[in-house]
Amino acid sequence: MRKYPRWPIHLALVATCFVMLVPFYWVLKTSISGENIFSYPPSIIPRHPNPFYYVDVWYAIPFARFFLNSVIVSVMTVIANVVLNAMAGYSLTQGFRGKTVVLMLFLSCMMIPFQTTIIPAYLITGKLGLLDSYLGLALPMFSTIICIFVFKASFDAIPHSLIDAARIDGLSEWKIIWKVMIPLAKSAMATNVILSFIWSWNNFMWPLIATRSADMQTLPLGLARFLSYQEDSTGALYAFCIMVLAPGILLFLLAQKEFVQGLTSGAAKG
Amino acid sequence: MNDEDFARPKWRRWLLNRFVLVPAVLVLVTIGWNLWVVTHDHGIIRGRVVDAAGAPVEGAEVKLWVFNFATFVVKASTTTKPDGSFEFANNPSHNIQVSADKPGEGRSARVPIRLYFASEDFALKEPLRLANGS
Amino acid sequence: MVVAETATAMRRPHFALRKSTRKAILIWSFLAPSLLIFLLYRILPLGWNVLLSFQAWSPMKPAVFIGLDNYQEMLFDDEVFWQALWNTLGIIASAPIGIAIALGLALLVNSDIRGRDVYRTLIFLSYPLMTVAVAIIWRWMFDERVGLINYVARVLDLVDKPIPFLNSFTWALPSVIAANIWQMLGFYMIIILTGLQNIPGNLYEAAAIDGANAFRRFLRITLPLLRPSLFLCFVIGMLNSVTSFDLVYVMTAGGPGRATEILITYIYKLAFTQTRFDYAAALTVTFFVLLLGVTWTANRLSGGNAGAVGMD
Repeated sequence: MRKYPRWPIHLALVATCFVMLVPFYWVLKTSISGENIFSYPPSIIPRHPNPFYYVDVWYAIPFARFFLNSVIVSVMTVIANVVLNAMAGYSLTQGFRGKTVVLMLFLSCMMIPFQTTIIPAYLITGKLGLLDSYLGLALPMFSTIICIFVFKASFDAIPHSLIDAARIDGLSEWKIIWKVMIPLAKSAMATNVILSFIWSWNNFMWPLIATRSADMQTLPLGLARFLSYQEDSTGALYAFCIMVLAPGILLFLLAQKEFVQGLTSGAAKG
Repeated sequence: MNDEDFARPKWRRWLLNRFVLVPAVLVLVTIGWNLWVVTHDHGIIRGRVVDAAGAPVEGAEVKLWVFNFATFVVKASTTTKPDGSFEFANNPSHNIQVSADKPGEGRSARVPIRLYFASEDFALKEPLRLANGS
Repeated sequence: MVVAETATAMRRPHFALRKSTRKAILIWSFLAPSLLIFLLYRILPLGWNVLLSFQAWSPMKPAVFIGLDNYQEMLFDDEVFWQALWNTLGIIASAPIGIAIALGLALLVNSDIRGRDVYRTLIFLSYPLMTVAVAIIWRWMFDERVGLINYVARVLDLVDKPIPFLNSFTWALPSVIAANIWQMLGFYMIIILTGLQNIPGNLYEAAAIDGANAFRRFLRITLPLLRPSLFLCFVIGMLNSVTSFDLVYVMTAGGPGRATEILITYIYKLAFTQTRFDYAAALTVTFFVLLLGVTWTANRLSGGNAGAVGMD
């Protein structure tokens, strides 16, 4: 290969990573030391680190309740997503009359961002009587086009010989799906789980619109409310940020490959 | 799936899969923490009061302050026993202060106590020192 | 086979179906739930928005058809709309900055160095975060008194007084844009990386043999073949930034004044704070048309195949 020095590249990349990670470090530092809220100049190493801001957050707001709400809504969304998207993805691998229409429909739905539907979505959810309920919070996100196409690509990649062999063995369509296709689509399922969980966990606008009572709020709402009540006067706000970011980061680090794969393949389709 | 996976028994593969291992560890840690909390949350705060010379003080009034919105308010008070020790039961909060006061001997500073969870049982390491006796 | 099937069909009770019909029922029943969700929460809302935009409606009273009155008010009587539109266009125009930086990063990460995966993960880490938390973090970093940005600027002697970033009419929107770029950088980089990895290496070798230097190789091979990826980044980045309700709402709430008000925050305020669903619907329709227009233009400019990544 060409001979060029590597160290400038490493230097540039390390500098970039530094810039990208400094906000994390800064928030972490403040959440355990509570300084640099009012003091200037800021210090690089935290003085008197203590974990008590995390305890404060736990008791200052119903953190457990918000966490539970977020978890319930996200779990509902993930399960529904995997089931619905797998079914739709499978259908798209078969030929049937009207397939082009359905495909066009799906592709055009990709062009309608959620934010342009908030008013009618709110009215519809109200009419269904689902405002301020877990189902109402989760329902709009029960299916996503990107994940449908991820499943479709995964099912398409299953060699036809396997399916034909199963057919010759006399398996019904249903059994073919269960015994042959789903086990081979594990990575698509993992991708779907990760993507839909993260989208649901981070979702702020829809819960903001669809919840009425304070104890149905999800974690992002709780965080925004905490900001408006406490301002930024203590390290507790930043402890809250860390507590809220930790599950997302953990999940991302566990399932990086699936996450990135899902995004690039799904984005490439759109 | 490669050859290496077939060398281990199937259940072991499942267990060591990161998607099972990490949640399992988290669940175990949560259960362990909750057990610890449940066995240590009687709200007992213990301590001692000494005077400026270090001798235990009997009959000093010790107050328990609890954080309420923006300030601390007195929630309970008790008096020290002959050996200078005191004990509060049923502390409801995680952010408290204690102070001791004996007319004639002086008063101590308000010592902040931060707990890891509400009503954690806690014993002060340093005794409350009375100062500025009149 | 067909004869046997028909024969057995005639012997079975008459409600047994042919295999192909059974399969069609299976397929459609598989599609039905997803279709229902999209119908209910994408297609129907689109139509309802259009309908609402031509009506005067408040929740307690019946709807009244008023034609283009809402649009008239929006275009001629509403300064906030024009300010929000201007801000939204500003955000769209700033997407290329993030993409250019990401292009540079992708080129660096794609080169033959150890630890590329680590770099890639670290840079991408900002994308899966909760935008509300990101907004709070950056709100504090841009703070006038204790913010890190001001501190660095003072230490490097760039300014002598701290800049009130989020409270100034000139700096507020760029601050929000900077926070958005920080969050999206990893995402752009991943997409461009995928595009880069799809360029066959022998193209570069052939060009090197022909005597092209690195810069010309970049200009003549990399950039043209990356066009689909770059425009995909632009479309996604644009969609993401103009719908970045979370970021603006938590960082500045549209302020100071209306300096960071974008169309989506204005729509939200109109609909859910002032309960003017009909007028907000008119704005939503306009917003949607704007998005479609920009996406269509980007698609045309990229050669009409913004979805294709790779050579064929």
